[in-house]
Amino acid sequence: MAKLDNRERYARYKEDVEKRGKPFYPYAMFHDTVMSLVVVSVITALAAIWYFTSGEEPGDAGLLGPRYTEEADPGTTSFVPRPDWYFFFLFYLLRIFKWPESVILGTVGIPTILLILLFALPFIDRRRERRLVRRPVAVVAALLVIASMGILTWEGATAEEPSATAGSVLCEANDLDCEGNEELALGADVFAEAGCLSCHVYAGEGAQNIGAPELTTVGDLGRGEEYWVEWVRNPQAIRPGSPMPGFPNLTEEQLQAVAVFLEASTGGG
Amino acid sequence: MEALVLAPVNWLEERSGIVGAISYFLFRKVPRGTNWFHTLGSATLTAFIVQLVTGVVLAMYYVPDPDRAWDSINWITNELTLGWLVRGTHRWGASVFIILLFLHMGRVFLFGAYKYPRELNWLIGVAILLLAMLEGFTGYLLPWDQTAYWATVVGININATAPIAGPFIADFLRGGTEIGADTLSRFYAMHMLLVPGALIGLITLHLYLVIRLGVTPPPWGEDAEPDEPSPNGRPRGAREGLVDPKPRGNGGPAITTRSGVEE
Ligand code: HEC
Ligand code: HEM
Repeated sequence: MAKLDNRERYARYKEDVEKRGKPFYPYAMFHDTVMSLVVVSVITALAAIWYFTSGEEPGDAGLLGPRYTEEADPGTTSFVPRPDWYFFFLFYLLRIFKWPESVILGTVGIPTILLILLFALPFIDRRRERRLVRRPVAVVAALLVIASMGILTWEGATAEEPSATAGSVLCEANDLDCEGNEELALGADVFAEAGCLSCHVYAGEGAQNIGAPELTTVGDLGRGEEYWVEWVRNPQAIRPGSPMPGFPNLTEEQLQAVAVFLEASTGGG
Repeated sequence: MEALVLAPVNWLEERSGIVGAISYFLFRKVPRGTNWFHTLGSATLTAFIVQLVTGVVLAMYYVPDPDRAWDSINWITNELTLGWLVRGTHRWGASVFIILLFLHMGRVFLFGAYKYPRELNWLIGVAILLLAMLEGFTGYLLPWDQTAYWATVVGININATAPIAGPFIADFLRGGTEIGADTLSRFYAMHMLLVPGALIGLITLHLYLVIRLGVTPPPWGEDAEPDEPSPNGRPRGAREGLVDPKPRGNGGPAITTRSGVEE
């Protein structure tokens, strides 16, 4: 009643712009042009800093990272999976949840909810008010989103990269008698070198930023060696859609040794 | 002399109306309060155009084949004249584009510019944001180095964990059960045809709506609420003549109520 409805209000806006507005050219266009020049200069500067501080060798990083890393090798033994920075927040979300029960919340649940909220925003907030002081919920929600995205991105960016660890270190850390058991020692070496630690934590070693399960006491699951051989060779055959990549390039002997190593890992003998 | 310039312009105008459209675009009125915040949209557009131009140049030299992709990237970066500049601009332009998208979206949010009648343009914007991230994801694989390869392995595997559609999406992205030549051509096709095509279409719609609807002035100052009475003491609704703006008499029993009159 006393309030104008949407259409009247918008008609007034149009009328007001017509009467008292300024022409796009030259006023707004001047601002737009200056800003665009700034954008192009910043991009060019980033490209130059990236190129001139880095070297031709793969992985030879300058101030803004390397030009490229080694050529892709599916049968590689160690790697650090790392997406581009604007996926870090998703990447890090995974770490907050536990495999495999609730990780779906991190990979699908939370992103989907955020997306629906983003799409639905104009239909959720139907008030006409635009002044910030009168939109406390919107302002607080915005600050929370910015803060949490910022923190997740930062955590994702600074998450520890796995360090090279020798198999013998793993054995010692987990009280395994590798010196007296050749197969166990081989298993520990394969485990350390095949890149398992890029995703898994083992006795305090390895990557924590992916959210894959810790394997220090994985032997307690009692799955048996045969099961582990098949699992490591091709996880999808056992659990379709599992995010763990298979390792079909390992030899039978290596697979068997890893299986022995996994089965023996019961956390303290 | 003047006729020489005007003749083709008139010819074009008569047959297309384009000259009138451009001068409408240039000389249309924008709100007085239009300021630097409003440049973020066109800055995003600039970054996108930079991606298109550098992308076309890269496509002339890049080979989407697992055996040669890495070498071609290496060659573009180190051997091709100014290749480093083209590739570096494309690579860092992508990040700047994403940052500008978020900033532009933040300004639209803070200005309440997604409200009536601009809801549709917000929806288009969110679709653009998603496609931009898909563009980043598909482009990341193309250099075919270890970083690219393994980030994609993990990315696709994470996708596969989604219920119901997850495994299908993952198979579609990979083009099979393993990441290889098929994956690379798929990502390449998406990255340089499908997604940019969709983006260009959506951006065109987006800009059409911006021009049609006009931009929202800042949520402060006198334009924040042009149709509410300014804070000069008059009660709300006074302008519409719905509330008596004169001050009421002081105290006393309310003898002017309807029931009072009837007595
Ligand atoms: C790219 C990351 C990644 C790498 C590399 C990786 N894993 Fe995994 N692994 C996972 C994820 C994710 C899971 C959880 C899978 C699931 O629940 O479907 C997992 C689960 C497991 C499990 C538990 C399976 C179960 O039944 O609970 C074992 C054992 C395992 N991995 C061993 C290994 C070994 C051995 C290697 C090295 C040869 C390895 N992983 C390399 C990500 C990885
Ligand atoms: C390639 C990406 C995009 C381009 C080139 C672009 C371009 C523009 C331009 C030039 C404007 C005019 C006003 C301004 O610059 O602020 C605008 C306004 C607008 N944009 Fe975008 N935009 C993009 C993405 C987005 C996204 C991701 C959203 C939100 C999810 C969005 C929502 C809006 C809305 C609602 C308006 C109207 C603003 C107003 O009325 O003040 N846009 N856009």
